[in-house]
Formats: sequence, C-alpha cells, structure tokens
Amino acid sequence: MTTLILRRLGVALATVFGASMFSFLVLRKLPGDPARLVGGELADETTIANLRAAMGLNKPLPAQYWDYLTHLVRGDLGFSYSMGQPVATLVRTRLPASIELGITAVLIAVIWATSYAAFAVYRRRRGVDTSLRVTSSIAMGSPSFWLALVLILVLSVKLGIFPGPEGRLSPSLSPPPTRTGLYTLDALLAGQFSTFFNALWHLILPGFTIAVGPFAFISRLFRSQLRNSVREPFALVARSRGLTRRKVFLRHVVPNSLLPLVAVTSMLVAELMTGSVLVEKVFAWPGVGSLTVDAILQKDFSVVQGVILLSAVLYVTASFLADIAYVVIDPRVRVGAH
Amino acid sequence: MNAPVSAPSDPAVSGLAVDPPVPDEREKLLEVRGLRTEFATSRGTVAAVRDVDLVVHRRERMAIVGESGSGKSAMAMSIVGLLQPPGRVVGGQVLLGGKDLRGLSDREWSKVRGRRISLVFQDAMSALDPIRTIGSQMTESIRTHQAISKRVARSQAVDLLGEVGVSNARQRLSDYPHQYSGGMRQRVLIAMALANSPELVIADEPTTALDVTTQAQVLELLDRLVTDRGAALMLITHNLGIVAGYCDIVKVMYFGKFVEESTSAELFRAPAHPYSRELSKCVLRTDQEVQGRLATIPGSLPDPTEPVTGCSFEPRCPVGHGNPLCRGTEPVMLPFGPPQADHRSSCHFSGKLTADADS
Repeated sequence: MTTLILRRLGVALATVFGASMFSFLVLRKLPGDPARLVGGELADETTIANLRAAMGLNKPLPAQYWDYLTHLVRGDLGFSYSMGQPVATLVRTRLPASIELGITAVLIAVIWATSYAAFAVYRRRRGVDTSLRVTSSIAMGSPSFWLALVLILVLSVKLGIFPGPEGRLSPSLSPPPTRTGLYTLDALLAGQFSTFFNALWHLILPGFTIAVGPFAFISRLFRSQLRNSVREPFALVARSRGLTRRKVFLRHVVPNSLLPLVAVTSMLVAELMTGSVLVEKVFAWPGVGSLTVDAILQKDFSVVQGVILLSAVLYVTASFLADIAYVVIDPRVRVGAH
Repeated sequence: MNAPVSAPSDPAVSGLAVDPPVPDEREKLLEVRGLRTEFATSRGTVAAVRDVDLVVHRRERMAIVGESGSGKSAMAMSIVGLLQPPGRVVGGQVLLGGKDLRGLSDREWSKVRGRRISLVFQDAMSALDPIRTIGSQMTESIRTHQAISKRVARSQAVDLLGEVGVSNARQRLSDYPHQYSGGMRQRVLIAMALANSPELVIADEPTTALDVTTQAQVLELLDRLVTDRGAALMLITHNLGIVAGYCDIVKVMYFGKFVEESTSAELFRAPAHPYSRELSKCVLRTDQEVQGRLATIPGSLPDPTEPVTGCSFEPRCPVGHGNPLCRGTEPVMLPFGPPQADHRSSCHFSGKLTADADS
C-alpha cells in the first residue's frame, strides 16, 4: 500500500512537471511576440526591446524555464498583462465559481447516468434500453458550446424558464458574504434563501450542459457493467437464496457495477475541464474556463500557462485519489487471500 | 417414514432383501408433471427438457444422472423458476406440497426459494458476491426468511459455519469469498442453502470444481446435513460413481428425458437401459485396475434441432444401433424387475438386459 502510494505520487509529480514544461515550450514557440502585445501596436522598437529584457525574453529558453520554475515554487504564476493582475490572484478569485459549477455538473451527470442506466437494465425493456443508447449517443455527439447556445435560446430566451447568460446571480442581487466562495453554500450559511435559490437556478443550465458529455460516458460504461453483473452467477445464486430480483439488483448487482466506475474518475475530471471552458464563456460564468478563453484571445501566455498547470494538477490529483480509492474499496485488492 | 432402501451405501448387501417400500404412505414433497423447457437459439427452438415427470418424497435422496447437455440443470432451474433466457418453461406443472409453483410472483417465489427449496451450485467462487463478506451474505440469507435481528442471524451464521467445518468461524465471517479455499467456499454455499431448514435441497454438480479428496468430504457433509434436518436431496451429477453412496433413487436422463429410474442398488445391480450400463462403465473404480483406456460412450447427444424418430440413444447404442425397431419406434418407460425396486426403463431390450444381469 505504501509503495503503491509512493509510486503513484512519483508518477503524479512527473506528470505535472511534464505539463509545465510542455505548456511553457509550446506557448514560447507560438508565433507572436509577447512584448509587442504588452507594448501595443504603436510602441517603438526601443520600448519593445526594453520590455523584452524586462520580461526575460532575451534569455535562452532553458534559463527562461528555470526562471518560471523558481517563481512557480514560490506560488508565483506570473503576471497577466492583459488583466493587470498576478495570475495566481486571477485564478484564485475565479476558481470557486468553476468548482461550484463543476460539482453541479458532476452531480447531474452521475445521478442522471447511473439512475437511467440502472433503470434500463433493471426493466429489461428493449424500448427503455434503446432510449438510453440513443440519448447517450446524442449526448456524446453534441458539442457543448452548441448545446449551450441552443439551451439558452430555447429555455431562457424563448420560454424564460432559466436565466440567460448573466453569470452566477441575477444582476439585482449581490453575492452572499464569502466563506467558501460557493454562492449556494455561502447563501445558505448566511441564511439568504432567495439568493440560494437564485444561485442554484443559475447553476442548472450551465451545469447540465457540462454534464452532458460525462453523462454519455458514464451511462454507457455503467450500462455495460450492469449487464455483465446481472449475468454473474452470484446474482442467480442470490435469487436462489430467496432474494427478489429488485433486492438482488440493488444489493449485489449495482455495487459490483459501481466499482469499475471509480477507476475512470480521472477521465471524468478531464471531460469536465474541457467541457467547462467554452460553456463558461457562453454562459458568462466568471470562472477559470472563461478566464482561459479570454487569455487565449489576448495571447496572455502566463495566464494560459497557469491554467494548463492547474488542469494538470487537478487531473493528476483526481487520478491519484481514484487509484487509492479503488484499492481501499475493492476487497479483492485490499485484503489478500489467506 | 422409512427411507426406501435401508443400506444404500453398500449396494452389494442391500438390494432386494429389504422391506418393500409402500409408495402410497410416503408423502409427496415435489411433483413435476410433463415439464417441458425450450431454448430459443439462432437455429430455432430447442427442447432441453422433454415432458419430464418426477416425484420427490420427503426425506428422499434422489440422484439425477446424465452427461453434460442432457437437460439436468435446465430441469433444476425450471423447477425453481430461475431458468435464464433464452430458456423458457413452456409446459407442465411443478407442485410443491400440492401447490403449483409455476406462475408465482417474484415475491411469492422468494418465500419458496432458500426457504422451502434451496440450491447448491457447482462453482462456489462465482456463486458468492466477491465484494461482500461471507457473514453479510449468510445473514442476508437468514434474514430474508426469518424476522430476527442482525446479531441473532450472525450467531446463527457462526453456528452454521462451524457445522460445515469452517474453523474459527466467528473471525472468518468477516472474510471475503476470495479468502476462502475452494472446498471451504463450497461448504459455505451448503451452509447457506441449509440456513433456513429447507424441505428440499437441489445440489447441481456440487463437487465438480473440487479435487477428489475434498469432493468426498463435501458430499459427506451435504448428506449428513440434509439427513439431520430431514430434508430431501436432489443430487444432480454426471458421475454415477458418487451416486451409490448418497442416494436412494437414481434417475438417468438422456436428451431431456428420463430413460431409466430405480433404486440405486437395483440400478447398479441390473441396469436395464444401455445408456445407464455404458455410464456405469465410465465410472472409475478404486477396487479394479484400469485396463487400457478409460471407458467412454462414443458419439454425442443428438442434434436437438433435428426431429427425433425412434429412440434418441439409438445412434450410440451398443445394443440397438441399426435396429429398425429402435430407429422407428420411440420406447416408453415400462416397469422391469422386482416391484419393490420401482424399476422403470425406456428401452425395447430392457427385459433382455436385466435378464442378462440376473443370470
């Protein structure tokens, strides 16, 4: 167990290091001069040269990377010229919005996918099963930014059920006092129930949009796991012991099918992160995703670099935790044979 | 209520010199009438169990013998209503204590399965939920049928595990199936099957996955527990060799039908069907040296998608192969031999075969 954790930790660190190096090199090698972007179209050559020197762009690449790393370990992710703030501050202020949206999306995706798949397999009706497969195919094939636009157009512009792309709260409301940074939780803690419902209402459309991709992925995987488990001899034996089909399904088939899902948590996190970038932008969600889009459009390298690093850390942490969780949950791995 | 044969474990001594059983006085526990089971395959519908009749009396120990694919397991699963698709019971009745089990709801079945009829399966590894402890599965079985607390169920489980010979039972309750050896897992399955004192235990090849020494122990255990609790046993096996010691009645199944049935002593003494005779030749005996190759029955079961005319065993039969009578006319079950042996066989030449054995 300890060796496993250490080994996984080593892999995790190496992955983050690799990601930092990759993002650094790719962004430095892209066409376009960061100094020119900072200085503006009208700046003369001497100003640009001074800026280049100030930004350390004259140094050889390894030296630049070393500078970057030494700042990084001190928590300095660089400075965003387009937004006039340190990258670390930008990310920190915007992270709670993304986390809140991410949690909403995970909840929607997991509950929707597992209950739909479980229902389809339990009912054994061809129609239900087909509907699941069609839904997940459509979900898999729908680009999230397109889906976001369609949903806004239909559900908020035409029908007015959900708020439009106005961020985390209606403009008339002020954010609840910050404790966790999650508006719903903060509103509850402060006892502001109308703010809570407003925040929740704003979460649903973007959360659902981001959840669609993971839904497709989880529902397919869970469906095939369930279909395997119901055919396992232990399910039949459990019925021969007198358990009803429903009890066998809930107590034996579902738990055995959930286990493999833990192993793909890291893929789920990756899906969420890629999904949230454009969706946040479309919904004017003040999170890390829309920050990323803005930074890319502004060629603000230090922000993009910071976000890539953050994603790498998130991904690696998720897969590390998933690996450990799998070992802890599955008794066949946790306890050896006598 | 006497067992029909007093000393079945010793066929050489028992046999005819016992009190004749009085069938009418024995209480029928399970009665199967005209059971027919079909499987939908890509090549059409195939009958696995062909209009089978069967009676199990209380406390009776019955063996169902036949080679793989003969329909034994399909019959067992049909009896308990657990035949899996594409299999389907298409006809007949399954009466338990006079009440038809076919058409019971899932909820009604759950009062029968595990409570009145229990099953012991062959592959104990896959028969247990790999991510639940033995204790949780045992208490689940107990509490499904008895309104008792977890604690009481747990102490019952400890007793049961001890009874089937799992040492250190209290600790081992918290172990997972993969922490048990194959023989111990099979013992756990037996303990679970007997947890609610069923009236009938159906054991489907309970020892095939085990090595020979463990096989004997597990059979011994099964036999003892079933007898102690006054349950009836239906032992499904392809090994005629283990039947003699543990069963009073033997029914030989071929191609979805019973072709011979009798007390086990009589069947071993004078098999009246060529198939039973060939099967018994395939049994390895410890008291005889193997000479040359092990005996086999050449050929295989008929293609179930083809219609059968005449005797289904005719193509493989050493007695009637090529005989126009066997090819043209399907034999029916007819009684043979001494009446107390309740011996029936469906072969045109049964009379001749038993006469050979008697001479």
